[in-house]
Amino acid sequence: MRLNKNEYKLVNWFFNKPKLSGFIVFTCLSSIFIYIAFQKYQIDKENKRVEMSNTLKVITQNIEQSLKNCYTTTLSLALTINDEGIPQDFNSIGKRLLESNSSINAVQMVPNGVIKYIYPMKGNEAAMGLDILNSKLHRDEAIKSVQTQKMYFAGPFELTQGGKGIVGRLPVYIKNKFWGFSAVVIKMDRLLVSSGINSINNKNYCFQLSKINPITKKEDFFIPKAIKLTQNNFVSSYIPDGDWKLYIIDKNSNILLDEFRFKTFIALLVAFTIGYFMFLLFKKPEEMQLLIEEQANRLINNELKFKAIFEQAAIGIANLDVETGRFIEVNEKFCELLGYTENEIKEKDFHSITHPEDFKKDIENIDKLKNGIIDQYSVEKRYFTKEGRTIWAYLTVALFVENNNDSKKTTLISIIEDITERKKNEELVINSQHKIESLINTIDGIVWECNAQTLEFNFISKKVEDILGYTANEWLSSITFWEDHIYHEDREKIVKFCAEKTAESLNHDFEYRMVAKDGTLVWLRDIVNVITKNNKADSLRGIMINITKTKEIENDLNNSFNLVTEQNQRLLNFSYIISHNLRSHTSNISSLIGLIETTENDKEREEMIELLKTVSNSLNETLLNLNEVVNIQTNLTLTIEKINLKNYIEGALKVLKKQIKLNDITIDNLVCDDVEVNYNPAYMESILYNIISNAIRYSAKDRKSIISIRYYTEEDSKIIEISDNGIGIDLKKNKDKIFGMYKTFSNYADSKGIGLFITKNQVDAMGGNIVVESELNVRTTFKIYIK
Amino acid sequence: MRKKSIWVIDDDSIFKIIIQKLIARSDKFDNVNLFSNGEEASLALKKGIKNKEELPDIILLDIEMPIMNGWEFMNEINVLLSEMVDKTIKIFISSSSITFEDKLKADAHPNISGYLTKPITLEDLDKIAL
Repeated sequence: MRLNKNEYKLVNWFFNKPKLSGFIVFTCLSSIFIYIAFQKYQIDKENKRVEMSNTLKVITQNIEQSLKNCYTTTLSLALTINDEGIPQDFNSIGKRLLESNSSINAVQMVPNGVIKYIYPMKGNEAAMGLDILNSKLHRDEAIKSVQTQKMYFAGPFELTQGGKGIVGRLPVYIKNKFWGFSAVVIKMDRLLVSSGINSINNKNYCFQLSKINPITKKEDFFIPKAIKLTQNNFVSSYIPDGDWKLYIIDKNSNILLDEFRFKTFIALLVAFTIGYFMFLLFKKPEEMQLLIEEQANRLINNELKFKAIFEQAAIGIANLDVETGRFIEVNEKFCELLGYTENEIKEKDFHSITHPEDFKKDIENIDKLKNGIIDQYSVEKRYFTKEGRTIWAYLTVALFVENNNDSKKTTLISIIEDITERKKNEELVINSQHKIESLINTIDGIVWECNAQTLEFNFISKKVEDILGYTANEWLSSITFWEDHIYHEDREKIVKFCAEKTAESLNHDFEYRMVAKDGTLVWLRDIVNVITKNNKADSLRGIMINITKTKEIENDLNNSFNLVTEQNQRLLNFSYIISHNLRSHTSNISSLIGLIETTENDKEREEMIELLKTVSNSLNETLLNLNEVVNIQTNLTLTIEKINLKNYIEGALKVLKKQIKLNDITIDNLVCDDVEVNYNPAYMESILYNIISNAIRYSAKDRKSIISIRYYTEEDSKIIEISDNGIGIDLKKNKDKIFGMYKTFSNYADSKGIGLFITKNQVDAMGGNIVVESELNVRTTFKIYIK
Repeated sequence: MRKKSIWVIDDDSIFKIIIQKLIARSDKFDNVNLFSNGEEASLALKKGIKNKEELPDIILLDIEMPIMNGWEFMNEINVLLSEMVDKTIKIFISSSSITFEDKLKADAHPNISGYLTKPITLEDLDKIAL
């Protein structure tokens, strides 16, 4: 559909001003709707008015009809008055009149204003004899009927005989002389019934009757509970017979107005909604227009931007003919990189400025591009500049297909970035890396780096192969290689130590053993630097130095030191023994000689000489013992033989046979027949003899003595255990002394304190150990550990 | 001068004979008691105090002895000595040891009056009897 120019203008105007257009639509629609509603309201209102008027008319007519009937009644009554002014047959006529006119309650004859006759008398006695012309209440209205000479209805008022009612009075003239009134009494309720007011549907209407009070001149309303009058809710009529005003009042006068208000509201709402939708509708094209403008601007901007980017890019961009390799378009940077002007370069193809070694690569890639195998390619290549310099460039080439009016044109887009500096730096880095690597590999230790958290190694120098036998690749192939190859005894301690130090970001330095590829143990000293990043240990770097030889030397040194210390101790002990034990004899000798020299008694002298002999024997014995000890301690070439333990025990027991029998001792030899140990035979004899003889010597005399001998192995040690139930040794007091020389713990005459000293020396000389456990007066157990 | 009462505590039987001879010769002592180790002597001392017997004026004490040695004896009687009011017992160490430590220990001990190195001479006995 084509719109003519004016229509288009109009429509456009609306579309251009969506807010105003929406408002106009809203205004128009709301005006129309409200107008319609108002019309409807008016019509309804008029209809109601008409309905009310009609109803009122009926009621008025009814009332007037009743009043007319009353007039007939009063007239009939008046005609009964004879010439003497006396009503004839008042009661019978009154009765008939009442019967014929149901609307009246009573009839009265009021000659000269005084009520003389009433029918029915019943209920109306109180009114009898009332002089109405002299009653303030009745006088004015009575006089009004006299003056007008017409029947006039007074009231409504409180009747003298009770109840509210109206009185219709007809002035009667006889021979042109006022006689009095003929009157009817109509009670209010009867009037309402007869008028039809009560029968009218009172759901919608109610009635009101009013009269200007003749005394107060104010309007009195007679129907109670009626709706109050407002300006518009009633229709009224005037009844002249009683000067009454009859109102019909609309009970629901506000409904129409409310309805109108409600409709108005709905109308506004609908109009607003439509107006709003129209606004949205009108707005749409404007938005579209904006969008289009924005898009167009963006396109223009993009084009400018791309143009600028192309021209001012920090990288060289060129467009080449795919077949000839000639430059079609180049940007400033491209020219600058190669040192040509734009025109010069357009005369060239890429072949002529490419380093011959890189040309083949280009050709191959361009072929792939043309055949659709690849979308683009990137290479690092060399170009010759105009001055003949070689530059390194990072080249990215893509195929560019232009769709121009259905004809396809394919060119190449080349982007080059000067990476000569980077190449130089790379070369430097590679060189320095080589240098560092060769340096690292000359270090006589394994240089390494690992993650501080996972302990995963990311570098290990080639030296690892020399020191541990593993190649660097083997090492790096397993995340936990290091941990896995620490000697199991050291592993837990080392890993824990390393983790603790790393957590504190402390450089550390520790020694441990690793299992080399050939299964040997290698002692390493690992010097670790913790590299922190953001105050957190990030990686560890270090060097592992082979210290196996140092360790061996250290061990030898330790052993030597221990040996020397031990020997020193023995020497000290020995010197003490000599000083004490030898001196005790020599001092005795010296004393005895002194005594011999000074005595004059021959007997005493002989006695002293005897003593001197004893001392000299003791000295001799001591020297022999010392000699034995010295022999043990200095004998470096002991013969060690495989000996049968049981045989040697039997041998010792044989020597001690006499004592065993004498002390009634049970020997419990639990050693198996086939137990063999490597020991010096003489020492074994001596050790067994000394300990068993001790056990016999210190047996308890009050009980059966048992000595048991066992042999067993415990971990790596072989143990001979000799246990007795003898008097025991107080080890609390004597632990240090028990294996000392000339230490005895009893007053036994044959306790010399040399046996255990020699035994200890012999066991030590065989590289073993001897320990004692004892409980006083219960038992003593000696354990001899054999290496 | 009143002659003194002396106890000799030593496990060396020959020394005991010699010291008896020397004591007899010195003529400074009228009462000699011999004990083989510290335990015997300490028991005798306790018994003597209990029975109000005459206690020694001087004790010659060896160091190296079985069962209870000289130092152990000193510990044992330490309390007894401190409780003694009317009597002082001079205790002298008589040892063949020429170890310096033993000498120092003896000098430092409050209840030890002197250190004699064996052989004991008549002159030594005269000195300690003063």
